[in-house]
Amino acid sequence: MANGINELFDEVINRGLCAGCGACITGCPYIVAHAGRIVALDKCTGSEGDCYKHCPRTFFDFDGVSEAVFGKAYPGGEMGQVLEIFMARATDPEILKRGQDGGTVTSLLALALEEGLIDAAVSTRMDAEKAPHGSVARSRRELLESAGACYEVGFSLEAYRSLPAESTEKLAIVGTGCQVEALGKIKREPPQNSPDPRNIRFTLGLFCGWALAPGTFHPYLKSLCELSQVCKFEIPPRPRYSFEFHFENDREAGSVSLDVIKPHINSGCHYCWDMTAEFSDVSIGSAETFPGWNTVLVRSPRGAELLALATEKGILETRELPEEKLSHLKWAALQKKRAAVEKITEKSGSKNDLLHIGRPPEESADILSRWNIL
Amino acid sequence: MANIATLKPGSTCLLMGNEAVARGVLEAGAGVASGYPGSPSSEVIPALAEAASQTDIYVEWSTNEKVAVEVAAGGSFAGIRSFCVMKQNGANVAADFIVNLNMTGIGGGGLVIFISDDPGGGTSNNEQDSRTIAKWIDNPLMEPSSAQEAKEMIKWAYEVSEAVNLLTFVRGVGRISYTRSNVVPGELPRKAQPEAVFPEIWDRNNPRKSRFTSGPFPVFHAPLHEKLEKAREIFETSPFNSYTGPEKPELLIIACGASTSYCIEGVNELNLEDRVSVLKLGTTWPLPEKLVAKHLKTTCKVLFVEEMDPFVERSVMELAAALLPETAHLTFFGARSGHLTPYGELSTDSVIGALADIMGITYQPRDRAYEEMCVEAAALVPGRPINMCPGCPHRATYWAVKNGLSLDGRNGFVCGDVGCYSMGFAGPGFYQARTMHAMGSGTGLASGLGKLGRFGLDQPVLAICGDSTFYHAVMPALANGVYNNSNFTLLIADNSATAMTGFQPHPGTGQTATGEPAKVVELEAVCRAMGATVETCDPFDLPKTIDTLLKMMAEESGVKVVIMRHMCQLVKGKRKIAPSWKMHVDGSKCLADACGCHRLCTRLFGCPGLMVDGETGKAAIDEALCAGCGLCAQICPAHAIIGEEV
Ligand SMILES: Cc1cc2nc3c(=O)[nH]c(=O)nc-3n(C[C@H](O)[C@H](O)[C@H](O)COP(=O)(O)OP(=O)(O)OC[C@H]3O[C@@H](n4cnc5c(N)ncnc54)[C@H](O)[C@@H]3O)c2cc1C
Ligand code: SF4
Ligand code: SF4
Ligand code: SF4
Ligand code: SF4
Repeated sequence: MANGINELFDEVINRGLCAGCGACITGCPYIVAHAGRIVALDKCTGSEGDCYKHCPRTFFDFDGVSEAVFGKAYPGGEMGQVLEIFMARATDPEILKRGQDGGTVTSLLALALEEGLIDAAVSTRMDAEKAPHGSVARSRRELLESAGACYEVGFSLEAYRSLPAESTEKLAIVGTGCQVEALGKIKREPPQNSPDPRNIRFTLGLFCGWALAPGTFHPYLKSLCELSQVCKFEIPPRPRYSFEFHFENDREAGSVSLDVIKPHINSGCHYCWDMTAEFSDVSIGSAETFPGWNTVLVRSPRGAELLALATEKGILETRELPEEKLSHLKWAALQKKRAAVEKITEKSGSKNDLLHIGRPPEESADILSRWNIL
Repeated sequence: MANIATLKPGSTCLLMGNEAVARGVLEAGAGVASGYPGSPSSEVIPALAEAASQTDIYVEWSTNEKVAVEVAAGGSFAGIRSFCVMKQNGANVAADFIVNLNMTGIGGGGLVIFISDDPGGGTSNNEQDSRTIAKWIDNPLMEPSSAQEAKEMIKWAYEVSEAVNLLTFVRGVGRISYTRSNVVPGELPRKAQPEAVFPEIWDRNNPRKSRFTSGPFPVFHAPLHEKLEKAREIFETSPFNSYTGPEKPELLIIACGASTSYCIEGVNELNLEDRVSVLKLGTTWPLPEKLVAKHLKTTCKVLFVEEMDPFVERSVMELAAALLPETAHLTFFGARSGHLTPYGELSTDSVIGALADIMGITYQPRDRAYEEMCVEAAALVPGRPINMCPGCPHRATYWAVKNGLSLDGRNGFVCGDVGCYSMGFAGPGFYQARTMHAMGSGTGLASGLGKLGRFGLDQPVLAICGDSTFYHAVMPALANGVYNNSNFTLLIADNSATAMTGFQPHPGTGQTATGEPAKVVELEAVCRAMGATVETCDPFDLPKTIDTLLKMMAEESGVKVVIMRHMCQLVKGKRKIAPSWKMHVDGSKCLADACGCHRLCTRLFGCPGLMVDGETGKAAIDEALCAGCGLCAQICPAHAIIGEEV
């Protein structure tokens, strides 16, 4: 059976499952992202495509990917493989100011660049109109330009795919769950026309509840405010229930209810089970009720080394994550899994067919039992 | 190409049929010649244009065939012998004027139109027999069977035209127009052109006609038929009708045009000289009935050999019906009997096939082994699928269109038109052009389709046309679209030439047929003046072109024009403009069949300058063909195609 562009469109894109990670584009002349959609420019005759293989919404072999990323089988649970959990924030005032929460992501990237652990950081950068694009930063200045969160789907893995295949640059890649899953698949079955995934020294995962569909959300956002004046978007923790945009020079922030925002959620995000980006070296989210702090999950030994170096160098300040916060995080992560399974069964029409997370009945039952939601 | 004005009378010259026609025009002493390019007729005007400096003839490329005939008719009205040339489709464009000209008659100078048909349609988007128009409008028609005869016939056609005061057609076909053969030129006239005057209306001493108005038609229609009868009388003794063969043949072939020589060869090949005769008709409308009737009486079987429509066949059968019962013994063979086809080109083989069947002869042209070798040899010749030239700007335009429409995502489509870019209907244009009819029809169709929003048509509508086509017939359609507030985007592929037919100048090029500087009728200015939104792009700047297309398609109403300006690669070659890039493929980067490419460049993009290296399996540049335009470097996903600036 062929697994190429046609199947990608039939099984993922035309079914509304696309997460907008960007793994399928740019390394290929047939698939591009445009106006928030994946577009096929032409017919490809390939029957075994990287596009299909690396998509997080085609069959995801949890154990196989876990083996490739962590060297062992997938442990399951609410948040997958975790070595350490704590809170952190940057000590550098400029990063603190530019960072989304505690600036932990940008700090770690800056450190890795400075120490020569990496040559380039692949992340997401907003243009003047605040539309997200994949970006490659090779200096602190470029890194700062890509700090801060854009809540729209960014297809930003295209930045990795568009690096020359023969590149030997050491990389760190920042991404949400779907992107980190795609990177896991890439590590397992290296692409034929992008840099060797062994060059990826660090994968920094972002917690992610959902992202917004640029096709409808961006025009809406544009109607709300002068986008070039916005310096930060934010979804503050509950009990506030809003999407906020802050302006340069301390002008009063704008705010809309999440009820207005939610219809713009990218449809593929509803099929995502991965709130904490389980296949990264380090996962980072907001510490919610501790404004200006990040929650950090260290997952791999090399992630642990990077964090140790950061604390040793005084680049990050850390503190313990209170127990009740941790159980809330686990609960939220599990909730996302439950919701995804519900949407997936709705789409497939069968409890035995969990689409990308387990098609044969045995697989489906297996993954549910590992998540304790049978 | 020989300068037809300086040929030595009486010498033997190797001339293309179209050059012989042009020489005939000079020998007839015509003072005005006009035309619109279209194969197989395109070489007549350039030959005359080249001769213009040695003679006093005025030569022009007109914007379309209707205007061309009007220009020539103007000459005739003012007393100057005038000439006009076009291909078969052109006759349709000109028809609207011609069906009035038959009523008014011509002026003091004879008026001859040479129409070259294209049996087989090798260089046309239709196959059409233009002879019907002569019958339709009751004007005389002749058909030469060789280049020499074409030249003589043109001269004689002026005499007929002036004798009956009607426009006279000479119909060629590709085989006559394009074949080079020996032609013996005659003398060029010594006397100067008469003074051109549009006849004074109240001058009772002036015997010339001073009004050319086509109505009231009862006044003109009856005389038209009288003129036609007069033409028939003249044709009865025409030197271009001839008979060869026995007095009482078993079979009479009635042939005309290029097929005449197939008949003579066929009769010889089958050794039927004593049994079969050939009546060659050079004057095919009106039919010289007495001549034909005389020969019908000498035989029992008649075979008609003519290309495309059974034109003479029907006229003769009509005559035979009128002559009953004297003709009751006749059996007719030809298109109607299925012995020959009423479409495509004929050949000696097809005529031999018909003859053998009718005469009951078994004919084996070659022995079987030879036949088999032919088939084998034919398989060795690589196929030559239609394609655009290396470096062709239309490839860039269609690539941008294809990607633009995919990105837009609303199933937009392109109404095509006639020119090199017609190839957009097939692989070279990535199957983007979805309609193809007459010149200018793409824009007219788009104008209509762009009004269907009220019925739910929400796909972007595009039309494409070339620069020459724009002046030819697109302008009225564009005005229609603007005036009726239609919603479509017209792409004008401005390659600065009428490239399809051989780079003839047109109103946008700043040059006349005879090489004098001309005012440029600017595309941008015309389209803006008509009220369209206008943008200009270089299609080789793919990202900008695609952006512009997206922007234009996103506009919800109005007529938008994108001028895709990039010089035709062949014009660059003619003007000796050096290639911009020296291209090579880095085999180590080329992905070839691997994921991430799957031979985008050779499989889809398809420039003939690209090939697959048989040894390495990687893409390679065919240096003999690559024009160095650099476009392929933009599309290769692996950046394996590399251009070095030269
Ligand atoms: C779509 C989205 C949804 C999120 N949802 C949650 C959530 O539900 N709960 C939670 O705790 N945290 C969530 N986060 C993460 C949170 O917003 C912060 O990015 C994270 O806490 C890191 O903070 P920081 O101060 O270290 O960030 P910074 O140092 O500012 O670094 C942020 C990094 O994120 C990258 N980035 C920005 N936008 C995107 C994007 N669209 N896709 C991929 N990468 C991007 C930037 O390039 C930068 O490298 C979400 C992030 C995104 C992008
Ligand atoms: S080239 Fe590869 S990645 Fe691109 S569409 Fe074809 S199979 Fe998919
Ligand atoms: S989820 Fe990612 S890889 Fe899959 S179709 Fe969407 S953008 Fe492409
Ligand atoms: S497009 Fe580029 S990678 Fe693909 S076959 Fe051609 S040269 Fe090779
Ligand atoms: S540069 Fe490329 S596209 Fe241009 S003519 Fe040469 S092979 Fe063709």
